[in-house]
Amino acid sequence: MADAAVTARRPHRYEALRWALLGIAVVVLVIFLGAQQQHGADVSYGRSPADSATIAKGPAPRAGDPTVPSVDEMTALVADSPVVRLPGSIAHWNEQRVREAAGDHPVRILVAPPWLDEDERRRLREVKNATIVVSGTDVSGGFYRAVPDDVPGWRAHFATADVTGPLVTLIATLREVPVPADHDGLRWREPTGPELTAVTADLRAKGLHAAAGASLTGVPGKAATTAFPDGALYVALPAQPFGEPLPRFGPALTELFPGTPIIVMYGLWIEYHGPATDFAEVAGASFYGQFADRISQYDYSQDQVLSVYLNRVTDIRYSGLFDRPLPYQPVDPLRVALPALPWLFAGCVATFLALSVRSLRRPDGTGIRRGDGAPARLAGLTALAVEMSLLTDARSNPALTRGVVKLQAARAALDEALPEHHVRSLLNEAADELDDSARTVGLAGYRPDFYLQGRLS
Amino acid sequence: MSHTLLIWLVGGVLLVGAGLATTLVPARRARDRKRQTAWSGARAAIDSAAVSRDAATSPVPAAEQLLARAELIAAARGGAAAARTAERHAQQADRLWRTQR
Repeated sequence: MADAAVTARRPHRYEALRWALLGIAVVVLVIFLGAQQQHGADVSYGRSPADSATIAKGPAPRAGDPTVPSVDEMTALVADSPVVRLPGSIAHWNEQRVREAAGDHPVRILVAPPWLDEDERRRLREVKNATIVVSGTDVSGGFYRAVPDDVPGWRAHFATADVTGPLVTLIATLREVPVPADHDGLRWREPTGPELTAVTADLRAKGLHAAAGASLTGVPGKAATTAFPDGALYVALPAQPFGEPLPRFGPALTELFPGTPIIVMYGLWIEYHGPATDFAEVAGASFYGQFADRISQYDYSQDQVLSVYLNRVTDIRYSGLFDRPLPYQPVDPLRVALPALPWLFAGCVATFLALSVRSLRRPDGTGIRRGDGAPARLAGLTALAVEMSLLTDARSNPALTRGVVKLQAARAALDEALPEHHVRSLLNEAADELDDSARTVGLAGYRPDFYLQGRLS
Repeated sequence: MSHTLLIWLVGGVLLVGAGLATTLVPARRARDRKRQTAWSGARAAIDSAAVSRDAATSPVPAAEQLLARAELIAAARGGAAAARTAERHAQQADRLWRTQR
């Protein structure tokens, strides 16, 4: 009894499992297709979240900016004096070194204010008697243009508007003599007590110290977070006067805030102090190597320059240099599961196939089951027909023969495992015919109902 | 990527194939069984009618015709519908012979 119940329920369980597997396979397929659509070929590892690391073209000159006089006036000024410094000009140089470089070569220098517009630049170029034109900190003369190309050069250029290096290089080139070795004329001094106190107080309060005259208004949020996830301190000073030593804030602040990245800006020159200084050299060199030209041509604020510098730092961090740990990126479960999906799908398909084959091989259950009485009834009726065949006459014979024919059909149906109701109906017809025959003969004992009851009891 | 693509394609084809097989095979089996059953009943009816004809005292042309038609249909071995038609004709012929007696 218990066995029968179990065997009856099990096919349903397998069938449910089969459809569940089909559902899983379809879901897996849909996920896979969806993943294809979402990601396509756009896959990367540890991509830097930095914004595009370029500096936009600088702001246009404003009406209040200093301008230059007419070409004739400037030509007259240059003819009067070997060095003409127009109002608003910012460039300075070590006069002794420039004199040494010039020697007996006549050098006339025209110094113009920075950030001129196209028309003003054209006027400067037309001053023919000036050997060298310094526009802002941009040094050019003849066919040449001299730009600093190393860290001391950039530092002098952006921190103090010192153009000694480019001037010396350009004059030597014009004279067609070997260029003298570079000479770092920048001097440093320790910051005074009050200076350091003011900076330290600001850094402790808000992590940023912008000295009077500095153009930094705030730390660029996103760029700073990606460049220094643990936070950093920022000190912004205006461009320093030429010839005076620069306050060396970096080491002093590193002592006060150990383990913290510190960014010190002198004008547009950015210095890094703190842990892992290796990368700072790469960052500074690559940043100024790429953008020094651009920065010196337009009037950029410290905000813009710092933002681009921080993006460059982020790029370097993400490039995997210097073993700096990458910021944690949460695991995308879909990415992790994607390689397993085909096999999951294949497993579902295989099991579904196996269960399908099993369901096909399973008997339909419409055939004759054992022990339901049809074979017994067939045997009983056949015995009855054999007994009656001795007793029938011409009137009852056809009915008996028809009964036998139906019994034969029922037996064939039973052999072919045809549906039970069909066998039953054939047996019923046979029983009816035998009953008819028995009634015709007049033998109530041979009526099938009675006869079978007697045999069974 | 190519081997996983193959898995998706072959897997999809197998799924569709299995679905078709599990739908079509039982349906076809049931149809065959139905046809067998119908022919079993038809043959029983034809045999029964033949017995009635042999027992009949006088010929009944209409019944002869019906039985002949039923046997013709049975000889052509059609589907379940043909079997049912043959069975109906045979039963009708059987009834005619029986009432004639």
